[in-house]
Amino acid sequence: MIDNLALGLSHGLMMLAAFLLLKRPDLDREPSPHDAPEKKRAPVEKPRRDA
Amino acid sequence: MRDLAFIAFLLAFFAMGFKRPFLLVLVYVYIDIVSPQRLTYLLLNSVPISLIAVALAVGGWILADDKRDTRVGGRQVLIVLLLLYCWGTTIAADFPAEAKEKWDWVWKALAFAAFLPLTLRTRVRIEALLLFMILAASSIIVVGGIKTIASGGGGYGQLNLMVDNNSGLYEGSTISAVAIAIIPIIIWFMSHGTIFKPDWRVKSYCLALVFACLLIPVGTSTRTGLLCIGLLALLSIRNVKRKVAYLAMLGVLGVAAIPFLPSTFTSRMNTIKTYDADESASTRLAVWQWTIEYAKTHPFGGGFNAYLGNRIRYDLKTAPGTTGPASAAPATPKVEVDKARAYHSAYFEMLGEQGYPGLALWLAINLIGIVRMEIVRRRYRDPDGEFAWAGPLAAALQSGHIVYLLGAAFIAIAFQPFIYMLIGAQIGLDTYLSRKRSEQSFRPMRRSTAPSPA
Repeated sequence: MIDNLALGLSHGLMMLAAFLLLKRPDLDREPSPHDAPEKKRAPVEKPRRDA
Repeated sequence: MRDLAFIAFLLAFFAMGFKRPFLLVLVYVYIDIVSPQRLTYLLLNSVPISLIAVALAVGGWILADDKRDTRVGGRQVLIVLLLLYCWGTTIAADFPAEAKEKWDWVWKALAFAAFLPLTLRTRVRIEALLLFMILAASSIIVVGGIKTIASGGGGYGQLNLMVDNNSGLYEGSTISAVAIAIIPIIIWFMSHGTIFKPDWRVKSYCLALVFACLLIPVGTSTRTGLLCIGLLALLSIRNVKRKVAYLAMLGVLGVAAIPFLPSTFTSRMNTIKTYDADESASTRLAVWQWTIEYAKTHPFGGGFNAYLGNRIRYDLKTAPGTTGPASAAPATPKVEVDKARAYHSAYFEMLGEQGYPGLALWLAINLIGIVRMEIVRRRYRDPDGEFAWAGPLAAALQSGHIVYLLGAAFIAIAFQPFIYMLIGAQIGLDTYLSRKRSEQSFRPMRRSTAPSPA
């Protein structure tokens, strides 16, 4: 009973965290000054596709 | 029923990993810490889920991840060197079959620790890794915490942590050292987390989890855990403003907690003072002595599990008051003979198994971590800067690491995978910040040509 409660709680939170991470574009990419401003500004729709 | 829930969880987790490959790294972290295959009776324990997860995680990184400006930390090189060195000692081991058994999991922990920082390219990834490490460990810690309260402590080796084979994080001393080591990181999440924004719910959960962590040494009645709590209390002095008030509060809390501690715990903690009458402590001292002698003839180590070859004699003083009617008599020495006693210390584990070069590499990996985190902590002290989260995180990782190094003095956890993930997170944080620094020094040049805001 206690085992299942603790497992349910921690696994539920992990699932929720994974779900929230799916919606974070900055998980994979942070804006960098190396990005060429004109070229890289355009593909803003890239993260949107994931959301 | 539990089996089905685990399978559903893993399938969902893997599926999300195909959308965001970094999640596959987290799947492996989860499997390595929780070992769901050991909590179930059917299905999962016949599938090599750990192998599948690591193959997918590495494959996902190779195929899909951005590898521009990948930086390799010096400690990653040291970890690879240690891995190669351990491979060598395994081939020449005193007990080849037993050595290979340990090698089978050690190399995975080391290889993953060397790989992990390559994937930690963003702040969210570093945070996600630490979040999953804590949540995965919490599945054991919450069980231990609730059971400690419910039963008033199980006594040493008694607390039922769902798995009875006493390995990995499910071993009492190991989980009590790890539970205390992660407390600073849990506290960091209370003010700097971005995945779970630190509102009142997150803060309450974190506090409850810290409380559960503090209960683990009580529930498992491990003396090492108590020492770790003491060290952590000392380490946190530097992070509080009112130091005297903090010390006074610690004292009051400590005294107030004593009546609530189960008698199994207090009676075992009292044995810290009479260590020479305690078999566990006496064998430790004898094994350590044996290891030092062994290293004189085997400076390059005897390979994993070389302790199997020891035969030790040690004097066990009979503690006054423990011998019934003769308790008034002074302590009398009693000679005990034993063989194949484990090291009970990571330092001696390294010395006996990997010799002086292995010990030196291991110490370098650990001590450089402490120093690097100190540098980062000082560099990012500014609470209003862009990287206000980084200084406190470095401090938390450093405190956790120091607590581990104390616990490691009494437990043979030199290759505990959880700690290598912590080291991986340290390296990841360090390389991330140095990448950011080089980007910032790059920025003025960019601004001169393109005045758009970054």
